[in-house]
Amino acid sequence: MKRRTWILSALGATGALVVGWGVMPARSRLGTGAMMLPTEGDVALNGWIKVASDGSIIMAMHRSDMGQGVHTALAMLVAEELDVPLGRVRLEQAGADSIYGNVAMFVGSLPFHPLDAEEGKKTTVVRTGEWMVGKIARELGISATGGSSSVSDAWQPLRQAAATARASLLESAATQWKVPASELKVQAGVVSHASGKSGHYGEFAKAAAGLTPANVTLKERGSWTLIGKPMMRPDVPAKTDGTARFGIDVRQPGMLFASVRQAPMLGGTVQSIDSKAALAMPGAVKLVNLPSVAGSTAGFAIVGKTTWHTKQAAQAVQVQWAQRAEGALDTQKIDAEMVAKLKSESGFTFYDKGSADKAEASAKRVIEAEYHAPYLAHATMEPMNCTAQVKDGKVEVWAPTQVPGMARAVAAKVAGVNIDNVTVHVTLLGGGFGRRLEVDFVGQAVQVAMECEGKPVQLIWSREEDTTHDFYRPMHVAQLRAAVGADGKVESLRIKSAGDTITPRWMERGLPALAGPIDMPDKTASEGLFDLPYGFANQHMSHVATRMGVPVGFWRSVGHSHNAFFSEGFIDELAVETKQDPVAFRAALLADAPRYLAVLKLAAEKAQWGSALPAGHARGVALHESFGSIVAEVVEVSVQKGQPRVHRVVCAIDCGTVVNPNTVAQQMESGVIFALSAALYGKIDIKNGEVQQTNFPTYPVVTLAQAPVVETYIVPSTRAPAGVGEPAVPPLAPAVASALFALTGTRQRTLPLKSTLTGI
Amino acid sequence: MELNINGKSVMTEADPNMPLLWVLRDELNMTGTKFGCGVAACGACTVHIDGQAVRSCVMPVSAVVGAKIRTIESLGTPDKQHALQAAWIAEQVPQCGYCQSGMLMAAAALLERKPKPTDADIDEAMTNICRCGTYQRVRAAIHRAAGTTTAASTATIAGVAA
Repeated sequence: MKRRTWILSALGATGALVVGWGVMPARSRLGTGAMMLPTEGDVALNGWIKVASDGSIIMAMHRSDMGQGVHTALAMLVAEELDVPLGRVRLEQAGADSIYGNVAMFVGSLPFHPLDAEEGKKTTVVRTGEWMVGKIARELGISATGGSSSVSDAWQPLRQAAATARASLLESAATQWKVPASELKVQAGVVSHASGKSGHYGEFAKAAAGLTPANVTLKERGSWTLIGKPMMRPDVPAKTDGTARFGIDVRQPGMLFASVRQAPMLGGTVQSIDSKAALAMPGAVKLVNLPSVAGSTAGFAIVGKTTWHTKQAAQAVQVQWAQRAEGALDTQKIDAEMVAKLKSESGFTFYDKGSADKAEASAKRVIEAEYHAPYLAHATMEPMNCTAQVKDGKVEVWAPTQVPGMARAVAAKVAGVNIDNVTVHVTLLGGGFGRRLEVDFVGQAVQVAMECEGKPVQLIWSREEDTTHDFYRPMHVAQLRAAVGADGKVESLRIKSAGDTITPRWMERGLPALAGPIDMPDKTASEGLFDLPYGFANQHMSHVATRMGVPVGFWRSVGHSHNAFFSEGFIDELAVETKQDPVAFRAALLADAPRYLAVLKLAAEKAQWGSALPAGHARGVALHESFGSIVAEVVEVSVQKGQPRVHRVVCAIDCGTVVNPNTVAQQMESGVIFALSAALYGKIDIKNGEVQQTNFPTYPVVTLAQAPVVETYIVPSTRAPAGVGEPAVPPLAPAVASALFALTGTRQRTLPLKSTLTGI
Repeated sequence: MELNINGKSVMTEADPNMPLLWVLRDELNMTGTKFGCGVAACGACTVHIDGQAVRSCVMPVSAVVGAKIRTIESLGTPDKQHALQAAWIAEQVPQCGYCQSGMLMAAAALLERKPKPTDADIDEAMTNICRCGTYQRVRAAIHRAAGTTTAASTATIAGVAA
């Protein structure tokens, strides 16, 4: 099926379901005060804002902070519109209402070319698609922190909620003082009038609660005092003295602990189990069977006095495991199978422009390459864990999760209770990177708690369980081909890739009611290939969706994480093959993509592209858009003792309007290090069904001594905010590969990059 | 067993083979020290034993009876922050924050040993893993606390410091 046909038919089918509903205006996300937690002395003005009696603000926090600083950024939006200092905004976990659902994340999953979706230049198909998916996402109201979407999703509704609260507080003050609201001023949460009257928000909150202000306007950009300023993160002090509470730090009276062992073969099962000796060990209480839940591999948990006691006992259980019915997984075989499928299957066309066939037929020269990317684990610092209590028909869950609604749903399903009887407390997350978009560990914690006579139980995975039972970034393979004309100009670019699609599998696991009987084309498979900014006249990008059986999930920057390595790596090859400078080659292809060009130029300028470097050092560059943000990275690399050493990474980013430049810089630094670990070391091998890497010694990551200096430069912008949590990841690997080619003359087309280099 | 933790005597009935990490976390509910790998590879569980940075996930509690154990909970107090804690805030080091207790304890042991560390000293001492990639800010914060300041990492809007 052709891309256009698919989009139109999908929209048509959806449209038929929503006739009537479709013409209604988008449902407001303002919400009502009843959606917030009732707390003594505080007054809720809508679904987002409560005013405390001292005039401070309590906001509903609907997103999870896993390090990306979103609790700070979203609180800044509220403080800005309400004119209160950031320190006067406290956070309270949002409830389960659909106003807290993520609309931007779902709109971002549409497979549109970014140049067709530029603000002010959107095509009809893009406008229709975004409108339709936006409405559906609003109805579904799925709360999720992912897709680098938190700020872009909250940008309008959260500011609107704060501005509405402000307007009603002013109206309340105006009524009380019998003066026009337009004559009131607010500074640091204190309302005042020229007559000398003044009072803080808390004094007007009760009377404001019933008001529906008629004219609510958001602040003009020029009058912002917080947005765009580098703000210190309020969550930092607690992260320097041990008081920050992560999932693993939950402590409840009478709490038990549980350690998990899952079948070492992915998808495997328990054949027989002998726990007699294990349960005789000190501190062990009982064994609970863990059938597969939300995509987990089956296993068991030992419940007991401490994590250590239960881990010891779990190791002592004698188990016969069985391979999954479909046979043992093997990554070498999967890689070969993907290459075969690239030959035998045509795949789904995500982008087609001009005629790559004709350009190739008349080419003077055709350049071809094949790229490979492995499976990867997330390796969050905090291993998977969840605390649960099942008592008197109610379920209480404490979870470091990116998807509280899905956590609630799986808890209800496992416990066999109505979802209204489940409460989910979202803790801080010791890293997420997409791993905590899964709820397998939540399901397991409830499975265990069901057997614990009403006692709370904290289930923790060992690092080995965490590494060997992830939902891995899928392996992908790509074949790229370019036609070069007699004049040396690249006339066409064709990219065909193969690999598992993530979204359909994730829906089956966590949102089974929404998973369809057949897989729809998944944008995440081809993102970073079909959506390139370069003005090649002829392009054809297709993807062969596979289903290899390895559990796959969203890994920071998702498809972009490997596809940027393929596409930007090949662009670098084309520059070299046509004897052009990599920056100049790209720049010449960006005439119709001025924002990309500006980012590329900024990075090149700040890195002093083309200037002399110490002997044995070389630069590499890559440019990539993801999650609405464009990032260019220029890396400086040398080879030390046969191994790549990245010294400096200059990042330029256009992420639209910046809320907190401090967190933008942090996320650039973070994305670079995360991507560098993957580029240098990241690889999950599966043999006989078992993941071979188990812990940091076999799944190494970059440490401080190997960390480059990262510099961040932000392109000023008045566009709506785009993502920053992920976009620094994709350009890093191709930029390093480009620099290594410059140093060694050897082109690396397989990740991770070779650890031992020759040619120097 | 009697332990000396953060200057106080603490009695515990813990199994002598139990690693100190789990005694702290699960027996004493001192949750500031984190579990990351269980094999002394990541450093999230770093505490001080008689002033030395030690990975508590592989240290049997019986081996530290009589020693001075210091954890993140006593690195500073709200009234009197440790210089490193102040530097950590000034440099905005933590992101998710999970590894930072261990980072700070490793850094504190380094400064006690070498009050003016070089970059090479920092490279050698700071082998803790951080998946958020806070390394350059960790380095900057150690220098700041030691008074050997290097340039802080700051975002720039088109060349103009924001």
